[in-house]
Amino acid sequence: MTQTVQDLVTVTIDERQVQVPKGTGIVETAASAGIEIPVFCYEPRLGAPVGACRMCLVEVEGMPKLQAGCTLTAQDGMIVKTARSSALAAEGQNSTLEFILVNHPLDCPVCDKGGECPLQDLTFRYGPGNTRMTFPKRTFEKPIPISPLIALDRERCILCYRCTRFSESVAEDGQLVAINRGAQSVIATFEDEPYKGHFSGNVTELCPVGALTSTQYRFEARPWEIQNVPTVCGLCPVGCNTAATTREGKVKRILSRNHPEVDEGWLCDKGRFAFDHLHARDRITTPLRKAGPRRFEELSWDDAIDTAEKLLRDGGSSTVTALSGNESVEEAYALAKVMRQGLSADSAVLPEEVPDALDSYRAPLSALREARTIAVYCDEPVVERAPVVELWLKAARRKGATITYGAPDGPVDALVTDQPGLTFGADNVYYLPRTPNGRGVTDAWSAAGDGEPVDGKPRVVVISGDEAATDPAVRAMAADAEIVIGIGMFQESFRGIADLVLPGTSYLERDGTTINLEGRLQRQRRAVLAPVPDVLAWLSKLGERFGVELSPHSSVVFDEISGKCFGGISYADIGERAELPAPAERPSSAERTSDPGETVAAARSAQGLRLVAYRPLFSGPAVDRTPELQFQRPSGDVQISREDAKKRGIRHGQNVTVTSNGTTVELRAHIARDLAAGTVRVAASDAGDLHASVEVTS
Amino acid sequence: MSLYEAIQDVRAIYPDDSESAVLPALRLAQAEYGWLSPDALREVADALETTPAYCKSVASFYDQFHLVPIGEHLVEVCTNVSCAVVGAQQVVEAFEGELGCHAGETSADGKVTLRAVECLGGCGWATIVAVDNHYRTHVKADDVPAIVRELQGVSETHGD
Amino acid sequence: MATEVKKIVLAGTDDHDLTKLAEYEAVGGYKALPKARAMTPQEVTEELITSELRGRGGAFFPTGRKWSFVPSKEQIPKPHYLVVNADESEPGSFKDNEIMSRVPHRFIEGCLITAHSIDSKHVFVDIRGEYSGPYEILVNALEELKDRPEIRGDVTIVVHRGAGAYICGEETALLESLEGKRGQPRSKPPFPAISGLYASPTVVNNVETITTVPPIIEMGGAEYAKLGVPNTRGTRVVSLSGNVVNGGNYEIAPGMTVRAIIDELGGGIPDGRELKAVVPGGSSTVILTKDEIDVGYDFDSLGQLKTAMGSAGIVVLDDRCCIVQLGIRFSEFYEHESCGKCTPCREGTRWLTAILRKLEDGRATQADLDLLLDVCDRINGKCLCPLGDSDAIIIASYVAKFRDEFIAHIEEGGCPFGGESSLDHVLAPIAMHTHSPVAEVPA
Ligand SMILES: Cc1cc2nc3c(=O)[nH]c(=O)nc-3n(C[C@H](O)[C@H](O)[C@H](O)COP(=O)(O)O)c2cc1C
Ligand code: SF4
Ligand code: FES
Repeated sequence: MTQTVQDLVTVTIDERQVQVPKGTGIVETAASAGIEIPVFCYEPRLGAPVGACRMCLVEVEGMPKLQAGCTLTAQDGMIVKTARSSALAAEGQNSTLEFILVNHPLDCPVCDKGGECPLQDLTFRYGPGNTRMTFPKRTFEKPIPISPLIALDRERCILCYRCTRFSESVAEDGQLVAINRGAQSVIATFEDEPYKGHFSGNVTELCPVGALTSTQYRFEARPWEIQNVPTVCGLCPVGCNTAATTREGKVKRILSRNHPEVDEGWLCDKGRFAFDHLHARDRITTPLRKAGPRRFEELSWDDAIDTAEKLLRDGGSSTVTALSGNESVEEAYALAKVMRQGLSADSAVLPEEVPDALDSYRAPLSALREARTIAVYCDEPVVERAPVVELWLKAARRKGATITYGAPDGPVDALVTDQPGLTFGADNVYYLPRTPNGRGVTDAWSAAGDGEPVDGKPRVVVISGDEAATDPAVRAMAADAEIVIGIGMFQESFRGIADLVLPGTSYLERDGTTINLEGRLQRQRRAVLAPVPDVLAWLSKLGERFGVELSPHSSVVFDEISGKCFGGISYADIGERAELPAPAERPSSAERTSDPGETVAAARSAQGLRLVAYRPLFSGPAVDRTPELQFQRPSGDVQISREDAKKRGIRHGQNVTVTSNGTTVELRAHIARDLAAGTVRVAASDAGDLHASVEVTS
Repeated sequence: MSLYEAIQDVRAIYPDDSESAVLPALRLAQAEYGWLSPDALREVADALETTPAYCKSVASFYDQFHLVPIGEHLVEVCTNVSCAVVGAQQVVEAFEGELGCHAGETSADGKVTLRAVECLGGCGWATIVAVDNHYRTHVKADDVPAIVRELQGVSETHGD
Repeated sequence: MATEVKKIVLAGTDDHDLTKLAEYEAVGGYKALPKARAMTPQEVTEELITSELRGRGGAFFPTGRKWSFVPSKEQIPKPHYLVVNADESEPGSFKDNEIMSRVPHRFIEGCLITAHSIDSKHVFVDIRGEYSGPYEILVNALEELKDRPEIRGDVTIVVHRGAGAYICGEETALLESLEGKRGQPRSKPPFPAISGLYASPTVVNNVETITTVPPIIEMGGAEYAKLGVPNTRGTRVVSLSGNVVNGGNYEIAPGMTVRAIIDELGGGIPDGRELKAVVPGGSSTVILTKDEIDVGYDFDSLGQLKTAMGSAGIVVLDDRCCIVQLGIRFSEFYEHESCGKCTPCREGTRWLTAILRKLEDGRATQADLDLLLDVCDRINGKCLCPLGDSDAIIIASYVAKFRDEFIAHIEEGGCPFGGESSLDHVLAPIAMHTHSPVAEVPA
């Protein structure tokens, strides 16, 4: 929206005049005048300001009492004085700090927040020099694990309620709450059960003191010993912007790097906590050769490249490559180039098929902020597929958007879909890929050659990545092949199926690019050195054997494909906060064919309830190797719509029986709002042998 | 009527997407079980399709919800100023003597829980003692033995 | 000064049981309702503005003006709500208890007229959970209206019970509580008139305010405005308690002196004791010394003494009352009732109690007394809602008016009353918490 002059108001802050849109918060207004108003509870991403901590007190001309800057909004002619120019405001801030410190322990030297703590900083700047409080401070048992991931130190809590507001009104999980009243209030979960939810880790970043800390990071590093490497999460197709904190060459924690268009500063717990997989016990650190049904033996790199060359030559052009969708664009391209140009092996099992038409409806996820009607056309829970998208949907609903589930039956502002080949009647379309970089990998594969795939049973199969190696369909194909060459990180993924395994790396160990679900090209940066050589390095060596010229540097590889796929943008031009390219021209309505409603209607005509066995977010090779994340796995819920539950007299939380053709499974009913009638959902791990059509009974 | 059904009835009084039924539902559960045990909170949460943590967060804010078991009867003595200046403390102590427990505790026989509470809104008729949530007015320390005998004799459960 | 006043709010209660619908109708009840419904909502509001009625909940805001802030349904196309504040938990106040118990139908009639005036179909009466008696009376009265559709109209009245939290009397905390949340005040603006219950336009009024509406419609706003004194019109139901012979509620003509209320209505101080001080309008109001009670009981007169009618709870204290202990007991109350949302209230009330205890125990020095006043200063005006401010204001007023007694505690190394004070060692709920069956208090 363009700002007209009438909408602007003039506010004077500490004698500086600024013009801001009417209604702008005074904290932001001051910031635009270059003046900082200190805050604790204020965090615009948590919704309307609450004015709880009283750190932001300012004097406003014409108002007898000090005002909370966070809840105050700019009106024309307003004259505001902050602590810089008003003794009253300064006294107000000093008072608030004194009250906060009445009960805050002075344990900064042993506090994980020390050195990056707003309370420490503000006390230094505005606080009282000494304490006048002579009675004992409140003490609590500490630290309390509120989950295997998060520790709570109640003595340090300043009751700003950021964490509980996050749980209540951002994640909407109702797990982390305040208990008791007044000075007795404490932050807690129910009966010390763990804070289970897809987004719990965000509270460790929201907490302005050292009350909520990551157990993984506890006592691991001091702020001056660490480096924060800006990168992009490689575990789902949202591609949240992150900073990997490293110390002495090891990743210690992952923080958000707030890209307001993509993630608004939120991360899911998988992205935040699953980095432990880097140090997995079965991590592949040298090339491996099959030495028995379940046994590998190590071989030297020279031998490995020789062996790979020999096996690939055996397979020739019939070789099939199965990709995971979490390779970087460059890795996928390099591999594709070796296979397609070196061997003319043009057959591949690609992770995603993404409709080209999508690019015409490209919009930042943040466009959901303004949407009034959103149709979610995805059978699986959005949160399991692309977690942070769920937060965007929740935010839209809180702002009054109508969200429907199932086929849209009218014009919509945004369509969230996992069905390729749709017609797009909506303004904005978000396709939810199944893999983190499926689009980039698919693009890279096509950019590397134009030969036609050959039919027939492959003699040799190349499996790229642990995800592909653990995919049942890929494993079935591999079981039929004579030779299997794997590229991956973990022995378990390849044990028993691969004849030769070459070590792979994690997204945290490589430089490269990925494409997220919006179509945004983003750069991943190497946070730590891998214990193995870069995949590009040995692929370039292997390429030489087949006369394929490949650079070991991702920037050079990228520049090679950029012209074909990304309009010639250079590697260096992809900023730390990557922009979304403008949408392509839209097809005329005559060209828009199939009606999204039809496919769904067909699928829904089945008898009984349609079972969707979804793949939980907390699953897969990285999660399997992070012990602290195990409690987050789904535990026996069947999600059912309110309508279907009502029809069957099923209550929320009740134990129910899910039946199909003689198979039954006992589960707990969870009445879900984000589900169309006629469908029930169960985590694949809980679904047992259930068929696609089920009945649920209490 | 089951607790679940009673909760659905009270839920119907309030607008659809509101949590307004939480307090009445907690009250119903407490009437059923005497106190709000973790299981009772879970039951309320399921009936309202919310989380037990939310229910506990709300319940623990209010003085009338009991998160630990209480006796068969509840005796609450107002000790705010209007009652106190005419002898509320003596009333509390008389109850403590008769019951053999401190305010905040339950008598050994599990019959009576004694509490001191803030102003009950009957200041002109001091001392106010709420026995099973119904007010007795002008209570004096001398009246306490009779009240305790009454509670120990008649064994009906408290409720409103 | 005359002690007789023509009752308006409690009219008819002397010789009728007005909890019964028939008796209420017999004394002319439910006559104002059709009269109001024959008027447009704006006309009803105008009548209230003319009456100069001001809210009886504590803040004394002009009632008609409050109603006039409610936007039209065209401006905000959402349901409008009337929420009646029956949370009455201010120490010293028990008038709403009596009003709901004695004239439930007049109160309901007031709800229905107000609902008409603000174009609302939904009335919520938020009554404090402890008021089982008045609750039952209200429910019975509503039951009696079950087959009187002409009275009920298309308005539903829901009596919603609180569960014990003084802060829920604050209007936005009340709305949060009614929405099923922890009763913590909201930051204003937006004001309830624009965004209140369920983010819809809402009027919050006190029980007495609402019960005054039918008589105003009956007699006309102009007639009502002739009663009382400027800025305090009509009548006021005051709650009298403490060291007074006849505690109870009295409907008075504003302007009557505090002394007359105590002596003439209350029958004076019992046990041959001397008056020491008076809390004029519930615990949250600045104290009056025995020399200040010739003041008229009205907004302007009390205002000149920097105090207020508040919720009209007059607490009489005789010479046995130690003012430091009074401060402790009230401060413990605010500490116990602080919702815990804003820092100065949550931490400050607790700190005030601690310093006062130090004084009472004789461990304090002059520096502690200075600190006490400084902490009051640091709380006052910085809280999210008036609860914390109240504690700071009253404690500062005790020091200002009874400084000698505070000094005596310091100089004599303890309480000059030596255990003889009427407030000696009173067990407050906050102190009981360590072995409380109510809330879990982590060690
Ligand atoms: C801490 C606090 C407690 C309050 N308690 C009550 C109460 O119990 N009853 C009441 O009517 N108003 C109470 N109020 C005042 C209300 O906020 C509000 O002003 C009043 O209900 C408006 O009604 P009125 O305009 O009819 O007076 C309280 C205010 C505060 C700050
Ligand atoms: S734990 Fe941290 S975020 Fe939560 S209320 Fe306490 S200080 Fe605030
Ligand atoms: S930042 Fe404004 S009150 Fe907390």
